[in-house]
Amino acid sequence: MKRILTTCEFCGCGCNFYLGVEDNRVVAIYPSVSHPVSQGRLCIKGWQGHEYIHSSERLTTPLIKEKDGFREASWDETYRVIADKFNQIRSQYGNDSIAVLSSAKCTNEENYLMQKFARACLGTNNVDHCARLCHASTVVGLAATLGSGAMTNSINEIEGADVIFIIGSNTTEQHPLIANRIIRAIERGAEVIVADPRKTQLAKLCSLHLMHKPGSDVALLNGMMSVIISEGLEDKEFIAERTEGFEGLKKAVADCTLERSSEIAGVPVESIIEAARIYAESKKSIIVYSMGITQHSTGVDNVMSCANLAMLTGNVGKEFTGVDPLRGQNNVQGACDMGALPNVFPGYQSVTDEKLRAKFEKAWGVNLPSQSGLTVVEMLSSVLEGKIKTMYIMGENPMVSDPDLNHVEECLKALDFLTVQDIFLTETASLADVVLPGVSFAEKDGTFTSTERRIQRVRKAIEPLGNSKPDWKIITDLSSRLGYTMEYDSPAEIMTEVVELTPIYGGISYERLEGEGLQWPCPTPDHPGTPYLHKGSFSRGLGKFSPVSYKPPMELPDVDYPFILTTGRISFHFHTGTMTRKDWALDRECPKGYVEVNSEDAKELGIRDGQMAKVISQRGEINLPLRSVDTIRRGVVFIPFHFAEAAANRLTAANLDPVAKIPEYKVCACRLERG
Amino acid sequence: MKILDKAKLSQFLEGLKPKYEVIAPLHEGKDILFGRLDSTKLAIDFVGKTRLSPKEYLFPQREVLFTFEENKKVEIKAYLDETKRVIWGIRPCDLHGIKILNMVYFSDYIDPYYQARSTNTLLLGLNCNEAEASCFCSSLGTGPFAREGFDLLFTDLGDTFLVEIGSKAGEMLIEEANLFIEAAEKDKEKAKMLESKSKQSFANQIDIKKVEGKLPDVLDNPLWAEEADKCFLCGACNFVCPACHCFNIEDIKVGQRTERVRYWDSCQLGGFTQMAAYNSRTAQVERLRQRIYHKFSYIPDRYNGQLGCTGCGRCIDVCLGEIDIAQILRKVANE
Repeated sequence: MKRILTTCEFCGCGCNFYLGVEDNRVVAIYPSVSHPVSQGRLCIKGWQGHEYIHSSERLTTPLIKEKDGFREASWDETYRVIADKFNQIRSQYGNDSIAVLSSAKCTNEENYLMQKFARACLGTNNVDHCARLCHASTVVGLAATLGSGAMTNSINEIEGADVIFIIGSNTTEQHPLIANRIIRAIERGAEVIVADPRKTQLAKLCSLHLMHKPGSDVALLNGMMSVIISEGLEDKEFIAERTEGFEGLKKAVADCTLERSSEIAGVPVESIIEAARIYAESKKSIIVYSMGITQHSTGVDNVMSCANLAMLTGNVGKEFTGVDPLRGQNNVQGACDMGALPNVFPGYQSVTDEKLRAKFEKAWGVNLPSQSGLTVVEMLSSVLEGKIKTMYIMGENPMVSDPDLNHVEECLKALDFLTVQDIFLTETASLADVVLPGVSFAEKDGTFTSTERRIQRVRKAIEPLGNSKPDWKIITDLSSRLGYTMEYDSPAEIMTEVVELTPIYGGISYERLEGEGLQWPCPTPDHPGTPYLHKGSFSRGLGKFSPVSYKPPMELPDVDYPFILTTGRISFHFHTGTMTRKDWALDRECPKGYVEVNSEDAKELGIRDGQMAKVISQRGEINLPLRSVDTIRRGVVFIPFHFAEAAANRLTAANLDPVAKIPEYKVCACRLERG
Repeated sequence: MKILDKAKLSQFLEGLKPKYEVIAPLHEGKDILFGRLDSTKLAIDFVGKTRLSPKEYLFPQREVLFTFEENKKVEIKAYLDETKRVIWGIRPCDLHGIKILNMVYFSDYIDPYYQARSTNTLLLGLNCNEAEASCFCSSLGTGPFAREGFDLLFTDLGDTFLVEIGSKAGEMLIEEANLFIEAAEKDKEKAKMLESKSKQSFANQIDIKKVEGKLPDVLDNPLWAEEADKCFLCGACNFVCPACHCFNIEDIKVGQRTERVRYWDSCQLGGFTQMAAYNSRTAQVERLRQRIYHKFSYIPDRYNGQLGCTGCGRCIDVCLGEIDIAQILRKVANE
């Protein structure tokens, strides 16, 4: 048996394990004991989640759609069909009629190539990926306040905090290794506060659980800040030395009375006071948040409120203090770092900055577009407006993951031509005109960047299955066909180019990544990497208080749709389930979707545990079994979004944050009937 | 009792290669894993245990039992692994784990797959001179020095190994190698001294008699629910356990063929035993409690008082919820 050390392909924790390989088949898993995050531990997906690699449903040859369905095709023919179509559409409608979706599941090298392909080969900034749907508000909100849109701490620091305030993160299920550090902190005597409409595992184990209403985060956080300021618990020295704009915050917070906060959030005044005191009185407080904060039409406001709270109490920029957005995908941090976003080149260098653009034009040998491109949800809407004619989607499945699926389907079907690159014939790939078979993480080399900004190696363990090709190879082939030559012998060579153009990755090389990897910023070859951000000064210089006032979600319950629907993930599955639902062990734990309802509400609805319920929103309806629980706030229902046949996103709305363009997955109105 | 120069260990193991597949703890990067011998990587002086025990050489994580093709005459091809194998460096806790596996797989029904591997494998143990924080074998009598269940047993005396012979097959290995000399009385004395020193290095102590006495009375104790609340449902406690032996069987399509495969399974998961219609233990508290009772009550009842726990503490080291079996046992003892 061969054993190959690699980085996990599921969440953003970035665990390392060895793949045991016999006869080109993954047959065993060995967690790495020496790895700083995994420390010999794995979650169920890490232990049991890799059988999909060898699924008989894997795509192993290119497919071209004919009248009566797909037929197998050669790479040569498939590339020719795509190139002809792209050329025709570009000459007829212009470069910006093409849109590209890159992938947080793919490597840094592949994301780098994909955005380079969009910008340099196709001449458009219409490149985005699913970070838009998870942490776009973090990228905007933390950049505005702290200067860098990434987790400020290292995962291991969390264990050393005295207070951990978790808001909008079911850490146990989504980031198990981070939840492990939180439990260790609890055992050490740390106080943990959880704000979540559901009684999650950590809400059971913590010292204080605020079961606030979905979408009331700003009110809750402003309430806490008003307590801190009125009781004089703010860190005056920190505010004076390291921040600006405090007076504005003070005023905004004063406008928000504690009673009003309490009423909006549905949390007792005393609990808000207690939470504020616990958080502010400690000098080692960390805020952990995730999609419960970001996936709102006020996502940026929510994120800025978290940053405000941390700066107010001096709990950022020092070890064991910080603001920690937990990134959901194995490489969503990296895909952002690599500029798979419509407004920035790799390393968050703005496409509208002439000097930076000139740097990339010189390196890539072409003129580059100067306007920001479209975001994920905007791309789709633009199809119906006739602006986008073709899309090239790599390793994403918007037909399950995007909000308002009936609308998504309409948009994708309205395209002149759709190219999908994936390892399975997903719901999205089924709609494609051409399907390109990429490979799993086990079949290629590269790097992933975890939620703690740790850049780590992904190592090829097996040969690509059938006639499939590594995604980086497909992009370079296609680019060359379109007349923009990309020639790289290996992902290491791609990384060399990334390093030259991306200051925060400036000191990275594959040699240096052996062992534990490196945490960016790592600007020079002798730089040791950065365990926590904003030491001494913020990335933007002074931290900027950004006062916000509460705005309600864009869709609220009413007489016809009396419940708040909130969506999310569960520990046994990942995103659209294309991988985890093909794994016997994970599928066995949760083979189908369900709607979680408070037992009192279920009783009033007259639907018993296990019975079918019909959940209806203004956009669609789905049927699924009801789970009657005592662990969710009354008036709120939860549906995991992994299941295409009962897709939560048939119900959700594409209500976007005005700046980050992230959809409000966490709040829409629905009603329940007997199914 | 024999003596082998430590410097000659790899020569001894290399010498077995023509006849055997030799498995030993190896340095892989900064980790230590059991694998096919590569002398340049051999981990001779490692302290404590590897994350996975070598049980997978008898009971693999994934094992193809047979394959068949549908749509024509059904042809079945069975796979028995009859590779002649020697495993060196097995800790006493892991030897006890293999003993449990033997009892289960050779009891009412003899498992041919396990039997094929087991009868072709020689077990070369390695005593522990030092405990890790999670180790508690000394409280269970399963370590830190082994008493049985090995073909040869090595004790690290510093520059040499003291080697105890446990079987005829083990003795043959020594004779054929021609590298071992007779042990002197002082070597045996030194081993005894090391054993008592090793026992003193255990911070984790459990009064197992007390635990066994209390177990029948604590079934409804609130402690089980408190512990179950911490469970992440990852199954790791079972996967790393040297004595856990439960599996699930799946049919996996490979082109035209179908492989019938057995995989390690976990009694901590809701889907466990679903092939028998459903899992009767629907709540995590029942499943966690079952793990403890199975190891400390049901297995001993069934197999001559042998514990189903080896005291290795691996389940403590891998638990995301920091559930600590030794703590649980102490709580039970103190009830």
